[in-house]
Amino acid sequence: MSRQAARGTDIRKVNGELFTLTYGALVSQLMKDYENDEEVNKQLEKMGYNIGVRLIEDFLARANIGRCNDFRETADIISKVAFKMYLGITPVISNWSPSGDEFSLLIENNPLIDFVELPDGHNALNYSNLLTGVLKGALEMVQMDVDVRFVQDQLKGDNLTELRLKFVKRLEDAIPAGED
Amino acid sequence: MADEVLFDFLHMELVSYIHHSCVKEDNVKDTSIAKLESTGFRVGQSLIERFTKDSARFKDELDTMKFICKEFWNAIYKKQVDNLRTNHQGVYVLQDNKFKFLTQISNGKQFMESAPKYLAFPCGLLRGALSNLGVNCIVTAEVSAMPACKFQIQIQRS
Amino acid sequence: MASTAHPMAVCVAVIAKENYPLFIITIPTENELKFYYTVHTSLDVVEEKISSIGKNTTEARELYLGLLYPTEDYKVYGYVTNTKVKFVLVLESTNTTLRDNDIRTMFKKLHNAYVDMLCNPFYTPGENITSRNFENIVTAMMQQD
Repeated sequence: MSRQAARGTDIRKVNGELFTLTYGALVSQLMKDYENDEEVNKQLEKMGYNIGVRLIEDFLARANIGRCNDFRETADIISKVAFKMYLGITPVISNWSPSGDEFSLLIENNPLIDFVELPDGHNALNYSNLLTGVLKGALEMVQMDVDVRFVQDQLKGDNLTELRLKFVKRLEDAIPAGED
Repeated sequence: MADEVLFDFLHMELVSYIHHSCVKEDNVKDTSIAKLESTGFRVGQSLIERFTKDSARFKDELDTMKFICKEFWNAIYKKQVDNLRTNHQGVYVLQDNKFKFLTQISNGKQFMESAPKYLAFPCGLLRGALSNLGVNCIVTAEVSAMPACKFQIQIQRS
Repeated sequence: MASTAHPMAVCVAVIAKENYPLFIITIPTENELKFYYTVHTSLDVVEEKISSIGKNTTEARELYLGLLYPTEDYKVYGYVTNTKVKFVLVLESTNTTLRDNDIRTMFKKLHNAYVDMLCNPFYTPGENITSRNFENIVTAMMQQD
């Protein structure tokens, strides 16, 4: 990307700390409201889903990309265009399954977890679970049913954060939008 | 740096989640606004610590307010407060003629009604920042014409 | 340079705006009680410095407050954030390798670590600091030579 373009997009950026801290405040509120980590994960995914189904419209309008021919192309766009645009990072695409229907996004510098130190006893919590919902929701709007889950998490001592995306099936074009 | 659209959607989810989590309370509107405000408060506390870590120590309350209107506002909303007024008796009014959290909402009567819930978090941000700087206050927001917004800061001295 | 037998700093304390300790670490750890007293005493000097400089508008209102007071065995330095959190650093008076600017740098490092710690959404401001990250940074800073 040219410097010019990078500067042009700066207008659309918010202070990174405002974003990270607001997300943190949301997760900590959920942890007060719900007894167990699984329920918090579920809520985060649900919110992410709601965001994803709306974010995709913004994405398609701004990214100026055509239809993806295969899942590999989708992976590229998710990492290099979508993550770059919304979070300013480019996850590494890796660990493709032989049949090409499953891959991992490896994130070294997940902005959501800056400053976060999980309290003890929350091993089941996927702190950044909003991301799984965003991806699921957005992909559903482009007729792809994709299963998204956390495999590794830096907050739990892993070296990096790994999201696993598995293509399940192509959805019919006429799915009712945003049924939640 | 995160994208503005993503942040706006996150804020909307936060507002909607907190509203739903309060539906069993007697007064949904007030409870959810208080809860959103306190979420913003905690974020404001952290942000101001970060924003002021390389500033010289503030002289007085007015010096603090000026920092809020310029640096704090700029870091969060990418513009300065358009007007700062005070009665010199502990009331400050900050006017933003194009408040960012409102530019996303369309103009119209039904949207005016939903303005308070979108202003609760920013009010909390402001009160959290001021409180951490040692200024205890009550912050309220008032919208007369979208997307202009007035924040009133009432200093609590005791 | 010298080995870690002589630490850079023998005590680091973080004091809440209401003047109660949020964090204190000493080398060796047995000295904690003794330094509690030292730190406590230094707070009066901190308050004095803050209020006196506040009146003098021409003087630079730096967060670093410099040497608070020397005793026979120790030198006590202070720093105050804009949110009135105080940092106190105690050095042995035999430590002559550190210049004023080195101390200022140590405080900056401490301040940055404090800000990151405060930004942890699971920390409640005003509570004791139990963050492992924070403790690691401070310990490393105290021992580096």
